Amino acid sequence: MPTYKLTCFNVRGRAELIRLLFAAGEIPYEDVRIEWDKWPELKPISDTPMGQIPTLEVDGQVICQSMAIARFVAGKAGLLGKTNMDQARADMLLDGGMDVGKLFTEMVMEKDASKKAEKKKEFGEKHLPPFLALYEGFAGDNGHFVGDSLTWSDIGFFNMMDFITAEYPGALDGYCKLNKVIDNVKSNPGVAKWLKERPVTNH
Amino acid sequence: MPSYKLTYFDGRGRAETCRLLLAAGGIEYEDNRLPQEQWPAFQPKTPFGQLPVMEVDGTMLCQTNSIARYVAKLAGLTGKTAMDQAKVDMIMEGAVPLFQKAGDVVMGEGDEAKKAEKKKDFEENFAPKFFADMEKLAGDKGYFVSNQLTAADIAFYGNYESIKDFVTLPSFDKYPKLKKVVASVQANPGIAKWLKERPQTAW
Repeated sequence: MPTYKLTCFNVRGRAELIRLLFAAGEIPYEDVRIEWDKWPELKPISDTPMGQIPTLEVDGQVICQSMAIARFVAGKAGLLGKTNMDQARADMLLDGGMDVGKLFTEMVMEKDASKKAEKKKEFGEKHLPPFLALYEGFAGDNGHFVGDSLTWSDIGFFNMMDFITAEYPGALDGYCKLNKVIDNVKSNPGVAKWLKERPVTNH
Repeated sequence: MPSYKLTYFDGRGRAETCRLLLAAGGIEYEDNRLPQEQWPAFQPKTPFGQLPVMEVDGTMLCQTNSIARYVAKLAGLTGKTAMDQAKVDMIMEGAVPLFQKAGDVVMGEGDEAKKAEKKKDFEENFAPKFFADMEKLAGDKGYFVSNQLTAADIAFYGNYESIKDFVTLPSFDKYPKLKKVVASVQANPGIAKWLKERPQTAW
């Protein structure tokens, strides 16, 4: 049984998808969390291929890039999709979500209060509704984005909406298929357990 | 035998890594180069309103790296083990910022002064660090992963080649392992043929 050690800041952030995938796959791992203020002293000595975290150490080998790590863990958990085409579609939906996720993150991290209010309005009115309408179209009636079973694209969507609904509570109202996706993810036993037990952090 | 149709503008840009992978795999496909004026009519047919897209027997895939990963699987260029595949992934993801940041320097917002500032930051800060990180990850024999050609080598080459004429990059003399990666990619028979025969475009 390989040993897995995930290193990230003490936030959900870029690592949370990875943690959800470990949970869904019921794969044990070490969840190392670094506080922001410790990072400057750790960075030069840490084993990070591109100077960034999260990193995943697997029996001593280190990989970086949160999506590469997530894809690896999804593979171990059997959640990539059954065929090559299913896997490519799951990939595509996750990548597409990242573009919107990036705009959302920029809004949340904006330090100037009035700029942030402006960005929040713009995101909520201009970017979020078309994204949700598009993804409602991609989702199946069965509450899965790809095929007929849970894949990491369902979990990735859930994770992103977990962040987004904290700022826009009613965002998913009326989206029947997307709500089914969310329910399917939340009712996965490993995920349900993690959601109950995970550290509560602001981000 | 499925039919593959890759649609992009008439340039290398974001699609060239996919074209290089198709060439390396000896996979026949329709290289559909869309004239600018046809884009508005085509755009609504794409999943996210963006190019490149790839149609496989009528199913449309989008997101550059998702298409690249799919083609890499068809071409047998993903890496042998799950860990090798994760490393290939990590490098494919890591290579994208080179293209994105250079693209922002050339095409991004800002007046002449802002653009000059971005260019300086890219050439003096970002690019040397990027090359240094990639040099550390490359093997001695001209391959990033498992001493054989993978999508990691081709993605590095594709992203680098698409931007090299528009920004000043560090000399490969300082990065002998990366120089060998470039040579490995160019020496692959399918790619060598493509490099000789492909349409010559400004970008």
